[in-house]
Amino acid sequence: MDEAPGLSDQYRTASPWPVFIALGIPISELGLLFGLFPLAVGGLLLFGGSVVGILKESGYVTSTIRAVTALAVIFLAFGAGLAFTDIALVTRGYAVIAAAILLAVGGIVFELFVREQRQTF
Amino acid sequence: MEVNGQLALTVLMGVFLIAVAAWLARVEDWRSYTPLAGGGTVGGTAEQYVSEEKPSGVIRWLTTVDHKDIGMLYGAYALVAFAVGGLMVVLMRIELADPSMTLISNTFYNSLLTSHGITMLFLFGTPIIAAFSNYFIPLLIGADDMAFPRINAIAFWLLPPAALLIWAGFFPIPDVIPAQTAWTMYTPLSAGVGSGNQMNAGVDLMLLGLHLSGVSATMGAINFIATIFTERNEKVSWANLDIFSWTILTQSGLILFAFPLLGSAIVMLLLDRNFGTMFFSVDGGAILWQHLFWFFGHPEVYILVLPPMGIVSLVLPRFAGRRLFGFKFVVYSTLAIGVLSFGVWAHHMFATGIDPRLRASFMAVSLAIAIPSAVKTFNWITTMWNGKIRLTTPMLFCIGFVSNFIIGGVTGVFLASIPVDLVLHDTYYVVGHFHYIVMGAIAFAGFAGLYYWFPIYTGRMYQVTLGKWHFWLSMVGTNLTFFAMILLGYGGMPRRYATYLPQFATLHQVATVGALILLVGQIIFVWNFVQSWLEGREVQDGDPWDLADDDLVTAEWTWFERKLETAVTDGGEDETELATDGGQTVDDADAESADDA
Repeated sequence: MDEAPGLSDQYRTASPWPVFIALGIPISELGLLFGLFPLAVGGLLLFGGSVVGILKESGYVTSTIRAVTALAVIFLAFGAGLAFTDIALVTRGYAVIAAAILLAVGGIVFELFVREQRQTF
Repeated sequence: MEVNGQLALTVLMGVFLIAVAAWLARVEDWRSYTPLAGGGTVGGTAEQYVSEEKPSGVIRWLTTVDHKDIGMLYGAYALVAFAVGGLMVVLMRIELADPSMTLISNTFYNSLLTSHGITMLFLFGTPIIAAFSNYFIPLLIGADDMAFPRINAIAFWLLPPAALLIWAGFFPIPDVIPAQTAWTMYTPLSAGVGSGNQMNAGVDLMLLGLHLSGVSATMGAINFIATIFTERNEKVSWANLDIFSWTILTQSGLILFAFPLLGSAIVMLLLDRNFGTMFFSVDGGAILWQHLFWFFGHPEVYILVLPPMGIVSLVLPRFAGRRLFGFKFVVYSTLAIGVLSFGVWAHHMFATGIDPRLRASFMAVSLAIAIPSAVKTFNWITTMWNGKIRLTTPMLFCIGFVSNFIIGGVTGVFLASIPVDLVLHDTYYVVGHFHYIVMGAIAFAGFAGLYYWFPIYTGRMYQVTLGKWHFWLSMVGTNLTFFAMILLGYGGMPRRYATYLPQFATLHQVATVGALILLVGQIIFVWNFVQSWLEGREVQDGDPWDLADDDLVTAEWTWFERKLETAVTDGGEDETELATDGGQTVDDADAESADDA
């Protein structure tokens, strides 16, 4: 309604992130279900990165590095739960942990180098 | 070998991720330059400027978050799934023309049977409804877009991977075979127990795909609820909210409670299959699956039928020249069906030996659902009564809907009765009953919507005669196929079998002929749809159905009219050729005679 403009009142009609979120979910699910380490890690990276991208784009978060870290912590907790508890799905747990670490590293690299370059334009 | 496989996967995944990152870096650039290109921000922000623009070509469709574009994507997806599911069943019906196993193997028949059901319900039924609701709900309620446009896009893009996973068994992947569990996925068969082949990864892939489609539907439902509650134009109150939005709102509520349960049950089944849990293998596990599945499964029926009822309630009065009779009661009956639909699930389980007292209560609620359904039916009939009926193609499909819904509904009332159900359970009677609803009603309403709004989403008109052919072939085909099934069920023909006793041959052949008639009708539809989209007569008037004559114009047509009026500037595809001298166009004959002179 006009009196109470929601988030959708100002938005772009294009976003590159939804496709990759939607691809990241099944790829990581396949990887985790069948124990395919590379698929699990890659899928989670794709999913995590795209989630941060879409949150940043739509203004739900302001700091990329904080969003990435938060997501990495969630992944880390989930991975540790799989690997080090009675569930004992060790390979899958390590896959999630690996994804968490890579995601955090990626976030830091982006923060330190890529974002910096963009602002110089 | 194992290490090599992992290595190859790692490299593939790495290359894919780098490609994604490179592509994103390129595509995201449109943001970095736009504020500069937009120049000053007088009279609007740079963001507003960007919101008017869309990338071109394939990238537009991959990145769109516009509700109309997403509606079109849903529609295209659903129609492709309809074709796949339809061709699967044509193969099955041809096999059933003869009692023994002739054309395809029994196991392949089982695979097709499973995929046909899942494809039609989850990859055609739900998405075709989402196509209409995405395109038209924001227009009908005067919203700029959906409440969460990006989540809308995610919900759609989950569906193509879902379809690939569900159909994965049919692709030439080594050691993967299609699921043969039927769409109900009853344990212990679907848990891979026993000496059968259902421990195969194809079943896991199908379950994952189904899970994804459920996630997609849930995201869509949350979005519609938020949109209808918060994004309505100030002129659209609850009192004058249109009937289609009411049905979508109710449907979204049902999805919100039903689909997460399906998702959980599927995860439990996957855990049983792959990680050694015992949810469904202990005592009572099989009945637990049935309870969980049908607690989702029966609301799913109404998830699929309520919005089509909304389309019929919206379209039918336009061609009866009157407002919908008893509008309020149609809304109340929608809400009543929504609530009651959660109290009927065990009528699918009358024959499992559950407590008779439980059975009786489920019978009572199931019979009660006939009341709101009848309220709707009588209101549609009364709307047409003494109305100024115009038998356009969408109207024919609406009337076909009402007719088929009556047969499908009345046969359902008998099934709701325990003693009758115990006789007819697991026979073709059940198959005939629900196909009258899913094909005869739901798909018919889908076609009504596709024809009714064709001018809006294509800017052109379909070919009327072909539309009529499509309707009549579909109507005759549907009734031939599914009435024969009802009779087969009375005769005791059990469902889900690839072969049968010779005494059932005649009726099976009638059903096969009906299915082939349906096939011809749908080929005509595809031809009409594609050719008219490309070459049909362009619509010049914002009210192609002359709704204004009876004061029945709805918001989406007003929007369309405004679009036509303001679309002149981006023109480009205007077909009338202007003569260079600014005079009138001349046809070829005149030009030739002018040349001769």
